[in-house]
Amino acid sequence: MKNRVWIIVLSLSVLICAVCWLYISNLSPLSQIVGIYQNGTLVEKIDLNSVTGKREITLSGEYGKNTVLVSNGHIMMKSAECPDKLCVKHGELKNGGSPIVCLPNRIVIKFEDTSYSADAKTGALR
Amino acid sequence: MAAAVLCCSACNFNSRYDSEFFAMDTIMTITAYGSKSESAVKTAENEINRLDTLFSVQNKDSEIYKLNRDKSIVVSADTLAVLSRAKEFYVLTEGAFDITTEPLTRLWGFYSGLENRVPSKEELDNALKTVGAEHIKIDSSNITLDENTSIDLGGVAKGYASAIAAQTLNDNGVSSAIISLGGNVRALGSKPDGSDWSVAIADPDDNSKQIGTLAVSDAAVVTSGGYQRYFEENGQIYHHIIDTETGYPAKSGLKSVTIVSEDDTLADALSTALFVMGLEKSSKLYCENSTLFGAVFVTDKNEVYITDNIKNSFSSQHDFEVIKT
Repeated sequence: MKNRVWIIVLSLSVLICAVCWLYISNLSPLSQIVGIYQNGTLVEKIDLNSVTGKREITLSGEYGKNTVLVSNGHIMMKSAECPDKLCVKHGELKNGGSPIVCLPNRIVIKFEDTSYSADAKTGALR
Repeated sequence: MAAAVLCCSACNFNSRYDSEFFAMDTIMTITAYGSKSESAVKTAENEINRLDTLFSVQNKDSEIYKLNRDKSIVVSADTLAVLSRAKEFYVLTEGAFDITTEPLTRLWGFYSGLENRVPSKEELDNALKTVGAEHIKIDSSNITLDENTSIDLGGVAKGYASAIAAQTLNDNGVSSAIISLGGNVRALGSKPDGSDWSVAIADPDDNSKQIGTLAVSDAAVVTSGGYQRYFEENGQIYHHIIDTETGYPAKSGLKSVTIVSEDDTLADALSTALFVMGLEKSSKLYCENSTLFGAVFVTDKNEVYITDNIKNSFSSQHDFEVIKT
């Protein structure tokens, strides 16, 4: 009888923990806050999780215009007027990866709170 | 006593200074600890910018631009130091590291403002005639290039700059810092809590992932890979690391090479050279020079190889093979 009570209590505890864990992990996914910087100054901070629909942000610099495309959970450089377009070729910004960088127009797009745990990364811009 | 120690470690922890800036055609970050970190980082940043104006291949006021244009000039102590070391690495790597690749890199369009393209065999053959460190004459601070030879310090400049930056930080009262010059990492001292810095190596197939981490103190960690800069034409990928034997992007069976060394400039040069040389020749070079550097290789088949002198500081979820001396 005593054993049965303990089994029920333990099972309930495990169930409650599992439900809580699922609830928390669904409610607070990894931080998706991205900063767009130009010349070292913050232009805009965006929480990619709270973006609805598609949005374009245009930045101007010495080498023409850059257009940033933002949608729910995603950010990328859609177009650039500089010659090499490395920022466009970079594709989507990934947490833990290199920031999107436009060297000619001094633009950096990066996650504010990276999931990445090492102190530095070699071979990638960070 | 215990309270004083706690207070000091708390103060050190609080006085962290981060800086992010553009130089040498890339993005750089410095994180330094200690009460003097802010002024020390600013001085180091100025030093890097000063070296950038000497070494840039495209800035018309740089010594390298003037040397390429006039073929004979008197250079500063820093430029002389880099050129001398570049010649030393040319000999050490039997020509795999070469700063006279400027005409080849230009033909492939890997300079900003140029379009990437595949040059003709004739164009490459002509350019190859001007390639080789024997075309550079060093007579004290007077440097002379043979006609049509041009140099590019891209394979050593960041290494030299990170050594100077680390030295500048140290001279200005910082003993704990981590520097990244476009992915060329330099650890100054250890972390404020005395443990090693953790430096991840980017996965060549997806740089948001990593192939492993190295625990280092007072060392440079530099990676070269074909994935870092490339273009695609007719389904073929052409990357920016040119093999001076052929004039084409190196095809040595490697995706990336990471070098660990106390010598930043050597680490920078060898990461490029060993990428060109491939695993077999690199292993031989390592066996003859194992006190100078350690290396991590990722092959085209995604195998990971590490030299035995750094294997204890490497952690990875991948299986890896050890290269023994």
